[in-house]
Order: sequence, then C-alpha cells, then structure tokens
Amino acid sequence: MALSPLQKLPPLPLALPGFEHVKRTWHTAHECYAARILPGEYYVTKNDESVYTTLGSCISACIRDRVLGIGGMNHFMLPSTDLAEADAWKAASLSASTRYGNYAMEHLINEIMRNGGKRQNLEVKVFGGGRILANMTDVGQRNIAFVRDYLKTEGLQVVSEDVGEIFPRMVVYFPTTGRVRVKRLRSLHNNTIASQEKSYIESIREKPVSGDVELF
Amino acid sequence: MAVSASDLVQDIGGLITLPDVFLRINRLIEDANSSIADIAAAVSQDPSFTVRLLRVANSALYSFPSSIDTVSRAVSIIGTSQLRNLALSMSVAKSFAGLPNELVSMDNFWRHSLLCALVARHLAKEMRRCDPDALFTAGLLHDIGELVIFNRLPQQSAEVLQRVLDSQDELPVHEAEREVLGFDHSTVGGELARQWNLPTLLQECIAHHHDIGAAQKHPRETALIHLANIIALMAEVDTLDPADVPPIDPHAWEVTGLDEAVVEPAMRAAQAEVVEIEKLFTDQK
Repeated sequence: MALSPLQKLPPLPLALPGFEHVKRTWHTAHECYAARILPGEYYVTKNDESVYTTLGSCISACIRDRVLGIGGMNHFMLPSTDLAEADAWKAASLSASTRYGNYAMEHLINEIMRNGGKRQNLEVKVFGGGRILANMTDVGQRNIAFVRDYLKTEGLQVVSEDVGEIFPRMVVYFPTTGRVRVKRLRSLHNNTIASQEKSYIESIREKPVSGDVELF
Repeated sequence: MAVSASDLVQDIGGLITLPDVFLRINRLIEDANSSIADIAAAVSQDPSFTVRLLRVANSALYSFPSSIDTVSRAVSIIGTSQLRNLALSMSVAKSFAGLPNELVSMDNFWRHSLLCALVARHLAKEMRRCDPDALFTAGLLHDIGELVIFNRLPQQSAEVLQRVLDSQDELPVHEAEREVLGFDHSTVGGELARQWNLPTLLQECIAHHHDIGAAQKHPRETALIHLANIIALMAEVDTLDPADVPPIDPHAWEVTGLDEAVVEPAMRAAQAEVVEIEKLFTDQK
C-alpha cells in the first residue's frame, strides 16, 4: 500500500558506521529508503533498503551475503593510463590505476564481511562500463576487464551482469533480496554523467590512495 | 527574477530564424498563382538544399521505383505540401545548429527527434485521415523548446538533468523542468512555433505532447506525437518494457484509435530507418 502524503514515513533505519553521510530518501514505488551513491562512494546495509546510482563508463559491483541479506554497492572506475587498450591496466598492474579498482572492491567486500557476511555466501552482480562518449577511448571496456579479472582472481562468481554497450544506466539494488533494477538511460544524460565521472577521476588523481587494504 | 517561456522565445527571436529557402517555398505554395516550375526555381536557388532534397526524395522514406534527378520532378512527385514539410524539417536542424549547448550533443538530440519523426510517420499510416509527412515534421520538431532552454538557461538546465538522475525512478524531464523552471520545453517550443507562424497542427503537437488533453484543434495528431515520443525513447534504449520509459497517457490510445500492437513494429522500423535518415537531415556539410 502506498503511503499518502499525510501518513508518516517510517523512521530512517540506522546506517552502518561510516555510512551516515550517504543521502537516503524515501522511495514511494518500492516502499523503502534508498541510498544514492556517487562516483567513488560505496554503501553497505543490513536494512531492508535499496542503494542506487547512475553509471556511464564507471562500474558498480553489487555484492551481498545471500544468506544474511547484508550487502551493498560500490561505484568506481580506473584512472586512465597512456595505454589505450582494454588490457592496459594489466601492464600497469602495480600502478595507481588498478589500486583504485582494488580499493573499491576490497572496501565493499571487507565491509560486508565485517558485518557478519561469509565469503562463501557472497553473490556478485556487475553493471556499467558503457561507452557513452563516441570520441574517446573505450574506458568502459577497461573497467569491465578489470572487474572481471579481479573477481576471477578472488574466486567470486558473477551471477548476473549488464555491462558495455553505449548506454548510461541507472542501477537500483536491494541487498536483502539481491534484486536489481537496471534501467538504460537516454543519451540526453550522457554529458551530465560523463562530466560527473570526469570530476571524480580528477579528484582521485589529486588524492592518490595510500596504504594497503587487507582482504579478509 | 523568474523567466517565462515567452521571455526565452523573445530572447532567441533574432538568433534563430527559418532559412530563406523555406520562407520562399512557403510563400509560393500559399500563392495560388505559382506553378511547380516557380517552386522548383525557388528550391534550386539553394544548392545545398537542392542536393539534400533529392537525396531525401530518393531515400527509403519514399521508395519511388525510379530515381528522381531533377528538382521539378521531385516537386511534382513529392507534392507541394510534402515539399513544405521537408523544407521545414531540413531547415530547422540547420537553424538550430547556431544555438549550441553544453548539455547534449546535437547528434544525440536529433537522433531522438528523428526516431520520433519516423515512429510518428509510421503510426500516421496506421491511422485514417492523418498526413504521415506532417506528422514526421511534428515528430522532428516536438522537442525544439529543449534546445532553447539548454542554450538560454544552461545552469538551470544542468540542475534539471541532475534532478532526473538523482530521482530513483528517472523523473520525466518535463516534470523536472516544471519543478526547476516553472514551465517545460513543450511550452517554450509551442511559443516558438507560434512566433514562426507554423501550421496549428505543428504548434499543438509541439506545445501539448506532454499534456494531450490541452490540444484544441488537433487532438489526434497531438496524441500520436505523445505516443511517438515514448516509442522513440523505447527505440533509443532498445527496450519493449514500458517500465523503462515514461508512462503513456492512456487517453492517447483512445484518441488515436491505435492499440499497443503498433508499438513494436513502429519501433523496429524507426530503428532500421534512422541511420540513413540521420545523414540526410543532420549533415549540414
């Protein structure tokens, strides 16, 4: 039953420590709170709520413990290198480039495990990596190649994905059930999404990742 | 101070004008004393328009059995009212090239408009008493107000698009425009069409494609453009799932007498045709 404007919304469920800053709004159609994440951010929850983002050439991994229903989403891309090929990140595997991808993946997985998730119960879905600007190298493919390789190395299977092609996407993930709603967006949004991703890339170039992340 | 839709159109009045070739053709067609030879002569004065007209006449849009290689033959075969539609369609893309914006590339903008035009043409053939060429033009022009808004109000437009992306269900763009600006692109486009003295059919389709109940004289055509716009969005993201695009106003089916069975064939046809047609309408070289 949809809530009328006069009815009171349920109280905002408590966010896990470290995620209090993520903006959450009531989602009428799904009758739950939804957390909006931006490039470079991630969000993990134990609550019956959703997490959503919009992707151009960036990747979002949606990971959860399928038994406990604890999970979340990240949103990242690899900074560009001088090598344009999809495999370039391998050649530069020790460079800062892959460290951003590793960092984003490890943070998400570690946070799920810190909250009780078990590695053998992890269910992984992957989205994004679209080629939304015709006149630039296909950074989307590079991001897809990275995340596939990362998950293979970690021995984590991908149960579903929607990657590549020319579309930006809106992804809504429900960690308690594992359900995902992926909506392709019209090209009207390409420039807005691309400029958001560009400022993210510029911000991480200025602030390199320091220290190692320990994987559980 | 708040800006109104008519302020915006006043502002751009001097920046975008319909090309002379369209105005000349339009005058001759309305003049009962002019002949096909007069009209052909007016067309021929603009070499780039002549070339494009012949390419369109020979394209899959018309599929005439033999090739059309002279302007007078093109005019007599296509017919003067269709010629006026074509001239307007081809002129508008050109005149708007002078109204750039940072938010959407002209290629992407016109691809949606052309998909809408092609779907509209297809749907018009399914309906009785509906001119496919006039509806093609209406489809091509239905969002012109958006280019005006993007050019004149770039910051608010960026906020509009951001609002759509921040909403969880992809808030329709025209609703986000109303929230941020107090009016939407259909009002701006309708105002421009009025200022340009375009036929009332075009004025109404442009002004009311998001609010089809407001159409006074051409409710069927306006409802058809409403449908064509949404089917064009389906064609663009290649989906048949209605949940992937803004909702269709159920009255549009009633008013047009069409039903959902038209969606997939119209969408597939437009997807197949758009590549060729895109070159004809948006290549301004």
